[in-house]
Amino acid sequence: METKIGVFLCNCGGAIKNIDFDAAVKKVAKFPGVTCVNLSSDLCLEEGKKKMISCIKEENIERVVVAACSPEFQEHIFRKVLEKAGLNDHLLSMANIREQCSWTHDGDVTEKAVELVKMAVNRVRLLQPMEKKELPVNREVLVVGGGFSASNTVLQLSRVGLRTTLLEKEAVLGAGTEELESFYGFDTGSMISAVEVDKNIEVLTSAQMTEVGGKIGDFSVRIRQEGGEILRKYGAIVLATGHQTELALDSEPQLRAEDEAISGLNIVSQEQFCCMLGNSGLETEPKTIGFMFDFSDENSRFTTLATLNNALAAKKKWGSEIYVFCKNVKVDSEGMEKLYREARDCGVVFLKSEAPPRITAENGRVKIEAKDVFLGEDVILACDVLVAEELYLPAEGAENLSYLLSIRRDSKGFFQDENVHLYPVGSEKKGIFFIGGCRGDLDLGRVLTDISSVVMKVHELLSSGKILVELERVKADPQKCVACLTCIRVCPHGAIQLVRVDGSKEVAEISDLACDACGICAAICPAKAIKFQGYRDEEILAQIEAIQEL
Amino acid sequence: MESKNVLVVGSGISGVASALELANAGVSVYLIEKEAVIGGHSASLCCKATDICSKCSACVVSDKIKEAVIHPQITLLTNSTIKGLGGELGNLHVEIIQQPRYVDEERCIACGLCTEVCPTDPKAIYPPFAEATPFSYILDEGLCLRFKGERCDLCQGSCPTKAIEFELKPKERELNVGAIIVATGFDVFDAREKGSLGYGRYPNVLTGLDLEQIFTREGYLRLPTNGKEPRNIAFIQCVGSRDEGHGYCSQVCCKYAMKLAGLINYQNPDTQVTIFYIDLQTAGKGFAQFYEKYKESVRFVRGVPVEILQTISGELEVRFEDISQGKVCRDNFDLVVLSVGISPGKNSWDLARILGINLADDGFFDIKHPLSSNETNIDGVFVAGTCQGPKDIPDSIAHGIAAASKAIQVLAESASQGRGN
Repeated sequence: METKIGVFLCNCGGAIKNIDFDAAVKKVAKFPGVTCVNLSSDLCLEEGKKKMISCIKEENIERVVVAACSPEFQEHIFRKVLEKAGLNDHLLSMANIREQCSWTHDGDVTEKAVELVKMAVNRVRLLQPMEKKELPVNREVLVVGGGFSASNTVLQLSRVGLRTTLLEKEAVLGAGTEELESFYGFDTGSMISAVEVDKNIEVLTSAQMTEVGGKIGDFSVRIRQEGGEILRKYGAIVLATGHQTELALDSEPQLRAEDEAISGLNIVSQEQFCCMLGNSGLETEPKTIGFMFDFSDENSRFTTLATLNNALAAKKKWGSEIYVFCKNVKVDSEGMEKLYREARDCGVVFLKSEAPPRITAENGRVKIEAKDVFLGEDVILACDVLVAEELYLPAEGAENLSYLLSIRRDSKGFFQDENVHLYPVGSEKKGIFFIGGCRGDLDLGRVLTDISSVVMKVHELLSSGKILVELERVKADPQKCVACLTCIRVCPHGAIQLVRVDGSKEVAEISDLACDACGICAAICPAKAIKFQGYRDEEILAQIEAIQEL
Repeated sequence: MESKNVLVVGSGISGVASALELANAGVSVYLIEKEAVIGGHSASLCCKATDICSKCSACVVSDKIKEAVIHPQITLLTNSTIKGLGGELGNLHVEIIQQPRYVDEERCIACGLCTEVCPTDPKAIYPPFAEATPFSYILDEGLCLRFKGERCDLCQGSCPTKAIEFELKPKERELNVGAIIVATGFDVFDAREKGSLGYGRYPNVLTGLDLEQIFTREGYLRLPTNGKEPRNIAFIQCVGSRDEGHGYCSQVCCKYAMKLAGLINYQNPDTQVTIFYIDLQTAGKGFAQFYEKYKESVRFVRGVPVEILQTISGELEVRFEDISQGKVCRDNFDLVVLSVGISPGKNSWDLARILGINLADDGFFDIKHPLSSNETNIDGVFVAGTCQGPKDIPDSIAHGIAAASKAIQVLAESASQGRGN
């Protein structure tokens, strides 16, 4: 027996004037399968929806076409109507006869409206129902790292009632917090003890991931510790492995060697300088200090912040003359412009040049030569200490982690692709998140935001212990699949894997939990084995045929 | 968890992000907005894609707004402001006052018949901007004859769904919530304050926001004076940022200026674009690569001009210091775009007083400590987005999500304390 299709046309309260609705209704009624055509003027309002529901029930309509305004506005409303009428909400096709028909043309457009309806009718006939189901997820979270961001993440996750494992490759927690301590008076010790006493947090130090399998809600992770290996299950994985810095002085190799021969203290990193500042037993206080940043890398927020803080501290402690060489001062972080002003008000001199300065050694001091753009002249400075430019890089082991988790990195090697504006802390794989320095050059404010954002995202995913998904929205047909692996290679979400069926044959299987319904696999499958519900080839072709026939 | 509501004040992108996260986590959210449409500033920005996406995030905004509007856990109250706050942590009472819309957003089907019959010029009833949500028509009290004492009811008569109602009074209601997220956003810097730059006096001096809206509306750029395609365009950075009255970087202007310059050059490669700047803010994921590309076609000049004069022929003479030559130079442009920055909201002061939260000396809402994002001096009241300080769209979204996280932690804690007692 033929499927019963109901068509609901709406004239938008009489505002669609260039369609002859009476003629359209007559034409639409003749389309095969159409058992009922309704004309309404208020389909999206309560009274219209009520009429629609009772009509679907009375006429035993099985599939619905709505010819009205843009699905952008109203599709969700009509899906609910179908649900209320007892139909699967995917058995709906919309024809946009307002924005894409009536409003775009002058003169009578009845014919085009009828064509659009015919396309929708042809499509709706082939649509398949989709069921929703709640799938269980593991509520434990793995947080990789042991510094400020990782520790704060586990503490906040504990506050929302989630159990976590903190996985640190070093023997102790709290690495890399020196600068936070000196700039913001941060207390690393109390953070570590808070982590250690929390019953929701398990700390594994000197431990590393060696293997990761599974998907969101059900990751299985092999962890190597001193005592041996353990296998654990987690619902989500958070990476907070931080960054490392490297002096950008590779162009001057002879200098580094010479420098060490002179005193070992002339050219230092920000961290070393921070230690010098903290060291009260320094033999001679540096009288002239040079800083450098923003020549080799545009991502210099972090080094700018460190420079400003260190320069101010040195000015206050030693009263030294301080010269900062840079291209641009990156002040697009909170409080940075204020700090920059404070530094200038204290007498720190900023010299901007387009090209990196030339650095040489002279009489046991460091000679810096640069062309200052404001003076328009060459500046030569001999300083006691040069805090060299630092490159901000992902921490050691990031490459290995990205391989283990099969997640992409950006062109600088940080986690997360460059195209991140959709998900500030997310990865392309559901259930894997990034925080702070491991995903790019972030200042403290942004790191704090990252931590809380990830806590929210993880809470949302795992707290209830289940996730509602649409089943088999994208599905590979085991009969047609030849296990060519093309889909597995292109899937950005890691949602496809090979499974064994009927004893020997291996076919692709798409996880409903991990799938993001992007449709790439369906488009690329050479065997046309993968179907994306609502966009199957048959459905698209049927719509095209509808126009050819007319 | 105990079922508690959260109030989100302001429906810009960070407010919407907060509301959505909370709603998805099962919390009931009241999202209040003082305007008739939601989305704030971010909803009116244009897509800056050329042959590739320029990652301006404008498209993310409209998707999120639509999601928020249809979310069953979110109650949207437009035309609403906060009048008072009472109660205690975990159980706050908020008094809301809702101004009448006159057009019922549930019943308006955006058919346009009312605008057709409206006798005033400009029309007193009209659709909001193209991507507006809810897409219900707006009745402007200032223009409507009815509110000037005349007996016009043409729109009411023409409305097929009886959505228009004149005799409405402001409604007051009280909400009980467990936490409040303040996401009231920013005000665009008024470029008229910089009189020497000529905005408002010279028609061919526009702001970055004007340009965004021209691209949203028209899709291409023409000179306001004669409708011709501009050939020589200058962008002036840091207008209303990093100056005496604004001790901060607005964080968005370098990015939008370069992306708009990229779009202009893509549409017409012959157009010469010059960007005058103090320091280029090119940090951030992936932006360095864009900058490398822009460097090829855009002329970057260090130093910000302070004066623009209109010549007799209608061109704009920009006076600036050419650092390479060490002297004052004059260049003529046919269009100047002022990259206006983010200023603290004018209403922040009122809200700060009602809620008892602190303002920082730059006029944005203050946070408790540099190491605690989103938290204000009042427990249970959090800030999100640009009302706390300048942020771009992705940062605002992240900040909104972070505020939701803080709110849910407060709810979880007050629930566990409730059980303990």
